Amino acid sequence: MIAFLLLAPLALVGAIITVAAKNAVHASLGLVGTLLSVAGLFASLNASFLAATQVIVYAGAIMVLFLFVIMLLNANQPITGRDPVPFVRELAGIGGVILAGAFAVLAFTYRDARPLAESVPNLRGGGAGPVGEVLLTRFLLPFEAVSILLLVAIVGAVALVQRPASQPDGTPERERVVLPGPTEPPVEARETVVLSSERGRV
Amino acid sequence: MAPTGYYIALSGLLFAIGMIGVLTRRTAIMVFLSVELMLNAANLALVAFARSWGDLTGQTAVFIVMTLAAAEVAIGLAIIVAIFRKRETTNVDTLAGLKG
Repeated sequence: MIAFLLLAPLALVGAIITVAAKNAVHASLGLVGTLLSVAGLFASLNASFLAATQVIVYAGAIMVLFLFVIMLLNANQPITGRDPVPFVRELAGIGGVILAGAFAVLAFTYRDARPLAESVPNLRGGGAGPVGEVLLTRFLLPFEAVSILLLVAIVGAVALVQRPASQPDGTPERERVVLPGPTEPPVEARETVVLSSERGRV
Repeated sequence: MAPTGYYIALSGLLFAIGMIGVLTRRTAIMVFLSVELMLNAANLALVAFARSWGDLTGQTAVFIVMTLAAAEVAIGLAIIVAIFRKRETTNVDTLAGLKG
């Protein structure tokens, strides 16, 4: 109970920072706070293996990927522009309130099928062994499907971000030069050449 | 031991905040961050129900969801990088090319 009361406000504050922060880096750091709090909540729910996975995979790997892309694209600054749908903020607020209200009603009318003291020992602490046992028996087909999905995701990501061999106009990448090339003489030198030739003719 | 209902209430609040973020933010990366928030809210509810029923199936489902989220982020961020190279922006409003 104490763990929940400590971690739940942290998770909510992190979520609000994630949604409200102007700077994308601040938003992703808020999400890291939420993810770590949720990992603590997992631990308080007898899911120790998931808590460790949450910290390693979510707060570690996925958030590093996010921060990497934010900084690679220099996208940490907010976009200032008009909203094409002017009422989307009001709509989002109303929808969020309705959704939160529906979940609150569900939360305070939910009754456990059995007393928690009876069902918690069945979880066996949620360690890697018991979870892996369920994963490789009842969840065997999703487990294999997810392995294929990860392979497709890796190949797809590599295929998506590789640069095309040539630009759309057919010029190879190494021949696209923006600066004036070395064959073109500087402006001053060209003028002196013209002047000397004219002088010679006169 | 906090009641299951408290965890579901927190999960609902997190989900609602994430949904507001998806609808109001205009950068593709921020939309992705909000989607991650919603996925985590769902995971929290799954683990709470797993404890309530005394069954590890919910926790295993969370493991699958986490893997799906990792794959989704890898592909999604690759698409964002590819779009950014072509359009120099990730504003979702200007990326309405597939609008019917």
